[in-house]
Amino acid sequence: MNKSISKNESRRRFFRFIGKFGTIVFLLIMITFFSIMKPRAFATVRNLLNVLNQSSLLIIIACGLTAVVIIGDFDMSVAITASFSGVLVTGLMVKQNLPIWFAIICTIAICALCGMINGLIVTKLRVSSVIATIGTGGIIFGLNYAYTSGSPIVTGIPKGFLNMTLIRLFGKIPINIIYMAVIVFILWIILNRTELGQRIQAVGGNSVATKLSGINVDSIKITSYIFSSVCGGITGILLSSVIGSGNSTAADSYLMNSFAAIFLGSATLKDGEFHILGTLIGVIIINIGFNGLAIFGMSNYVQYIFQGAILVCAVALSSISRIYANK
Amino acid sequence: MENNKGMTISIKGLTKAFAGVKALDNVNLDIVAGKVHGLIGANGAGKSTLIKILAGVYQPDYGEILIDGNPVQILNPGVADSLGLSFIHQELNMVPDFNVIENIMLGLKKERKFGLLDWKATANKIIPVLVQVGFNKSPFTPIKEVSVAEQWLVAIAKALYKDVKLIAMDEPTAALSESEVERLFSIIQDLSRRGIGVIYVSHRLDEVIKICDEITVFKDGLLTLHEKTANLTKVEIITAIAGRKVEEFEHINFNYEKGEVLLDVKNLYDENKIKGVSFSLKKGEVLGLAGLVGSGRTELIMTLFGARKRKAGTIIFDGKEFTPNHPKDAVIRGIALVPENRREEGLITNKTLNFNINLPALSVLRNIKSLPFISMKKSSSITTKAIDKFMIKTNGVNSPILNLSGGNQQKVVIGKWLECNPKLIIMDEPTQGVDVGARAEIYKLIRSMSKEGISFLIVSSDVEELPILCDRVIVMANGQFTGELQSCAISKEEILHLSYAEPVQQYIYEQGRQ
Repeated sequence: MNKSISKNESRRRFFRFIGKFGTIVFLLIMITFFSIMKPRAFATVRNLLNVLNQSSLLIIIACGLTAVVIIGDFDMSVAITASFSGVLVTGLMVKQNLPIWFAIICTIAICALCGMINGLIVTKLRVSSVIATIGTGGIIFGLNYAYTSGSPIVTGIPKGFLNMTLIRLFGKIPINIIYMAVIVFILWIILNRTELGQRIQAVGGNSVATKLSGINVDSIKITSYIFSSVCGGITGILLSSVIGSGNSTAADSYLMNSFAAIFLGSATLKDGEFHILGTLIGVIIINIGFNGLAIFGMSNYVQYIFQGAILVCAVALSSISRIYANK
Repeated sequence: MENNKGMTISIKGLTKAFAGVKALDNVNLDIVAGKVHGLIGANGAGKSTLIKILAGVYQPDYGEILIDGNPVQILNPGVADSLGLSFIHQELNMVPDFNVIENIMLGLKKERKFGLLDWKATANKIIPVLVQVGFNKSPFTPIKEVSVAEQWLVAIAKALYKDVKLIAMDEPTAALSESEVERLFSIIQDLSRRGIGVIYVSHRLDEVIKICDEITVFKDGLLTLHEKTANLTKVEIITAIAGRKVEEFEHINFNYEKGEVLLDVKNLYDENKIKGVSFSLKKGEVLGLAGLVGSGRTELIMTLFGARKRKAGTIIFDGKEFTPNHPKDAVIRGIALVPENRREEGLITNKTLNFNINLPALSVLRNIKSLPFISMKKSSSITTKAIDKFMIKTNGVNSPILNLSGGNQQKVVIGKWLECNPKLIIMDEPTQGVDVGARAEIYKLIRSMSKEGISFLIVSSDVEELPILCDRVIVMANGQFTGELQSCAISKEEILHLSYAEPVQQYIYEQGRQ
């Protein structure tokens, strides 16, 4: 009798472990595998920094989007906002001849405004978040084309703006990693160690109970949308600096990748909860996979198959584990 | 259904553990068809685990289940269904936009004509069953337009339609008014007369004693009492549930009449449910708000708390005019709410005890007064303080809130307001789904806090609870006050009498002011 209980209990413990650490175990297996198979190409500091560098922009946009996903909503306009931000920042410098710093501030302010409008539509006009942000996404996309008539801004971008993402700290560490680390740190502090962050998490857990605890749920939601759009904006600015142009669709692919990372992250360390650290690990899993597959010489489409499969498998594994951990 | 082929379910040595804690420990029990079997015990005592094992949701670690002597393995809810076991949970899980017939037929095989669903033929088969349970609305009414009591009838009709042999009902009377309870009881008696077994799970002792032929009590996973109701007294049952003698509360009359007025409501109206309500509440007073479900009690307190729109009327709170447009206005002025459904409205269920306790008063957690950063140290020390003051039973400040029993969760919903220093605490059904032991502790807390000068406005359907808890009770019907009872005059009979009375609200208001 005791034996059967202990057997059940150890089974439960196993599934609890898999539910929380399954994705990290998978990441470690992947790193070990690539390191053994391709020690010279994969397991170098240089390649690791390269992966982190490539991940930086996606991490910034995905972490901002996490704030919206935590409150239980979706921001489908975030990648379009990022593309718009890249066009806007270069355009303001080239067409309006604004100084670099002022162009950046204006761009971020406009992105914040986009986020606020998203939030207002969702909270005050009671439009479901997916519909609202698909709508605003369309509008932003249109404005983007109206501003550039569709042709990318390539010439006349100041050197200083391009150098912003070229610097390497100590001659080694790409500066984008530092930007990313600072933003992730700030977002983590906000979400986990401030009153606002506690309220955002509470709204995500139960918005009715949060409201009845005397908290203005609408303003918390609007703030989350602003976080998302501002982080999208920062990603767009950095991306336009990296690629050296303002392209009206440059950041569009970040949308699906961000959601993939966020949901991978929800299956990491916590039981199906969205959190910044999880999103960070989610992006890294996706990009380590991409990187390793590229080193193996696989074509692009294999990487997309990999991304889709890992996402579905990780989230499925985590939800099934949660069921078995409590059965 | 007319034959008495009574089924017997024998449970032998059933054991089930979660995370090393035994939820059921070597339970032996016979449930005989044609009898109403009461299942009671504190939250976490094991009764819902037993129900879930019978329903095929959980698998037992040890022990077996026999039906009429044959061992069965209930591997999933489908197996339970095919064995003729039916389960009606507190939340009825109906599709609001579907009509009665569609809800009954959900997941069942429907009549067809030329391959298409034939609702008319289906209805013809169901209507006799609906008549049996006394459901007398049109079977094509959408379920959202049907009262909770009638939804229970529909749920029972569904079970009967499936030719069920045993129905387990979980807290069926939680949302029902006194008269609806009577109606449900007569149907339950009818079921048992027809040879159908009924398992009746409830916290309401008086109801269990009234309706059940046999009573089984669980305590910490052990079956502590199994006896014919006729051979039991209420005190014996309470002792078995609590494992100790629970002190009976006697009403103490406070001198609240001398206190100053904290809340003064004049002629309050909302859009449709509150039709001119006036009353006042003094500091340190415990005011009960009685009435039938749907009489406007919950709407009244939600309006006072700013969660519903006011249409007319004035509210004076603590000497100043009060116009609540959002719950935060109420919280700032020192009003706290303990809502009716603690899981849906009171708790952030995916978070910890610590998170929930600190949510309403986050600014207390600041390390530096002018910066909105919170200190985790302060938050755990506040939680520890609340755990001590409210005697919350938990593994630690960071244990998930859902790991706490219902009674302890309720203490958290009260305790989270502590740091807001509330002057008035509004409670809606504060002891619903709370076991006897925790209930007594909550009563004690209300008493001791009211002595500190905190006023209480308590909505309750439990007519046993109001007389022992309140200094004064106001009874509502149809959005208006029908009467007011002062301390010694508060009795179950008077409350019920007024619940069905015609409103005389202006008169009561004038009297209340004297």
